[in-house]
Amino acid sequence: MQTRVSMQGISKRFDAVHALTGVNLTLYPGEVHTIAGENGSGKSTLLKILAGVLQPDAGAIEIDGKAVEFTDIRMAMNHGVTMVSQELSLVPHLGVAENVFLGHNQTRNTFGIDWKDTEKRSVEILNRLNLHVNPKAEVSSLPQHQQQLVEIARALASETRVLLLDEPTSSLAPAEVEALFNVVRQLRDDGVSIVMISHRMSEMLAISDRFTVLRDSKFIDTSSKDGVDENWLIDRMVLNKPKEATKKIKSGEPQKIVMEVKGLTGFAGDFADISFNIHQGEIVGLAGLAGAGRTELVEAIVGAHARRSGDVYVNTKKIGHNTRSTMNSGIALVPDDRRMKSTIHDMSVRDNLLLAVHGRPAKNRSRKKEEKIVNEWVAKFNIKVKNLDAPISSLSGGNQQKVVIARCLVSKPKVLILDEATRGIDLGAKAEIYEILRNLAREGLAILVVSSEITEIFEISDRVLVMHAGELTADLDRSTIKESDVVSAATGVLV
Amino acid sequence: MKNPFKLPTISSLPAWFGILVLEIMLLIAMAILQPTFFSGSNLSNIVRSSAVPIILGIGMTFTILTAGIDLSVGSVLAFTGIVLSGLITHMPRLVAVILTIALVTIIVGGINGFLIGKLGLNSFVITLGSLGIFRGISYLVTNGTTRSMDTGKLINTLGDGNVGPIPGPFLVVIFISIISIYALKSTYFGRDVYAVGGNEFAAKLAGIFTSRVKMTVYFISALLAALAGVMQVGRLQAASPTIGAGLELTVVAGVLLGGTRLSGGVGSITGTVIGLLFLQTVSNSLTIQGVSSYWQQVVTGVLLGAAVLFDRIRIEYSGRSKRGEESNVTKE
Repeated sequence: MQTRVSMQGISKRFDAVHALTGVNLTLYPGEVHTIAGENGSGKSTLLKILAGVLQPDAGAIEIDGKAVEFTDIRMAMNHGVTMVSQELSLVPHLGVAENVFLGHNQTRNTFGIDWKDTEKRSVEILNRLNLHVNPKAEVSSLPQHQQQLVEIARALASETRVLLLDEPTSSLAPAEVEALFNVVRQLRDDGVSIVMISHRMSEMLAISDRFTVLRDSKFIDTSSKDGVDENWLIDRMVLNKPKEATKKIKSGEPQKIVMEVKGLTGFAGDFADISFNIHQGEIVGLAGLAGAGRTELVEAIVGAHARRSGDVYVNTKKIGHNTRSTMNSGIALVPDDRRMKSTIHDMSVRDNLLLAVHGRPAKNRSRKKEEKIVNEWVAKFNIKVKNLDAPISSLSGGNQQKVVIARCLVSKPKVLILDEATRGIDLGAKAEIYEILRNLAREGLAILVVSSEITEIFEISDRVLVMHAGELTADLDRSTIKESDVVSAATGVLV
Repeated sequence: MKNPFKLPTISSLPAWFGILVLEIMLLIAMAILQPTFFSGSNLSNIVRSSAVPIILGIGMTFTILTAGIDLSVGSVLAFTGIVLSGLITHMPRLVAVILTIALVTIIVGGINGFLIGKLGLNSFVITLGSLGIFRGISYLVTNGTTRSMDTGKLINTLGDGNVGPIPGPFLVVIFISIISIYALKSTYFGRDVYAVGGNEFAAKLAGIFTSRVKMTVYFISALLAALAGVMQVGRLQAASPTIGAGLELTVVAGVLLGGTRLSGGVGSITGTVIGLLFLQTVSNSLTIQGVSSYWQQVVTGVLLGAAVLFDRIRIEYSGRSKRGEESNVTKE
């Protein structure tokens, strides 16, 4: 088969650090190619080089057999290479059609840009993606998975033959993932070469025709999908395999109720009349699709958003309505979006870990006591940090997340809520976080885990709650349920 | 591969280091060019004239650290003088000073703090409004005229006089700086200020009373503007509604030169003091060299542009070594 893209011996250094060393990648027309590897293995760097965002220090890129050298994104696009990055890069307050054609050539008429034609052409592209929205609608008014499709539509507006998707599913719920994959398959059948990065094993295996594995910035292996399974990938991705997940054994008698939510209704109507409870030492999973109102619910529980009605009780005592008082009552939240909601990027690791420790405003912070707390948690969670005074942004994603979890635990909560706590974290760190949660539950902490990954929910939950369109649609005991029950409740079938 | 004699890298130096180097270079250049520059009277003149901007700048640093801004400080400076001129004839001077500062802090801090901190309105718009309001009131009350005052020893010492051999305003600057540095570095309030400016929602989720923190910084800014207003009266022996017009921009420039980031969360009092001292030295040097004062504005503008450019380069540089640090850590 004619190769479409051939990258040979690609190397890239950031100062003294090798991000890529002699990596090869070959793409054929009409295939879905997954690049697998842990965080920091160089996957994103490789994609960015192919997309012209970064320039390699060494190595050659050929497209359709011709050597090319991309100095910027524009050049790559002119060769039909487009990247859809992890963070959406749409202009939120412009319309869908305007976004689709942003930076592309639009037809002109006497008065300037011909918007009628732009809209017509964008509707054609959107139809191809099975996205039926008003082309005049503001992008910010669309749910996130539709915004993702708009981004892909933008890639298709130029003659894209190589589409690079950097973690396209990280913020999508299972049904949306399936919809996205249908689009990807259709594009593949149209002859587009698609490169994907994903952290979800089952997804990689479901969609990919070929795999390339990177580890420690080096090329490890490449193979077509025949003979590739989970073990094949893990063997190559990680040197030290994560420990086999220990199946949770439910311990005897039901414990006492720690947190009780009664008839909670959000102010903006994102969720209505939610009631449930969590027992001591129990890990409860909260499943659902993106946009089901789970994040809004847990943020309202901790007092970050206003509520219309309903109450939350901890140990039968009604709790307050602002983040400080809920924290004092013993509820702590690990938010879903680390960059936007958890870390203060320019603040030191130390201060980030201690951010939920409060005192009288004018009080002198006791360095000695702080030092003790910080050292204790860094050791306990095995947080890899060289300099506690360096900004937290200098840590890897997994270690940042551990700092955030430690922050929540410093105040000794009775209930810990984690919202998509393992999103975008590599497998090793994920396994470590699961282990931490299991230990905490064993010590009697009540834990609520909000996750869009069904495997994650099944891996650690004793009980599973499911939300659909702002309502609680199922409360299922771990020992009796099947994955299909959760999926149907999440999509509203059981209502 | 650790080299004990390694020079510190650019990224490990504080943001204000470059300005400090420039300040020293400027002092050396002036010493060579103009022997009169290092006369005692000129040096103390630099210190005296930079005291008011520095005090305002310290307040500005607090607001900018929370990702806000207080554009009203120049107007409040004038407004304070007018209030003081009204009160001083009716009561002992010390009481008048305290009452003036208290009143101005409560009125200005209350308005700015409530609207920005409590209601969450945009700080630029709100303080642009108070800039107009307090300047306008000052003109209305005085009909645009300057009021001379017999300020007495206390006010004069604060703004212009000496305590022993040391200029009074210098002592005020040192005192306020030390308190502010302590507040930002060692108290929970200081930590909360950086957190709110760095990531407000994250700060809120961590249990920080973000609106209270924001209200407080506008009170601090108003308090320091009132103090600076009293010092200004001491220096001029008069209250004028025109005083400090446009000063807020010089102050913002000095704060940014000192490495405080306009987007909040990064910056220091030390940087602000050095930044404003540098601007004052530049303007004094140009004056002594007989350069038109119009040029001083051009120079300030160029410096500000250069400083922001330099800071960007520094961030890029440190960003790169940070990424390096990350992958080292992952490999361990």
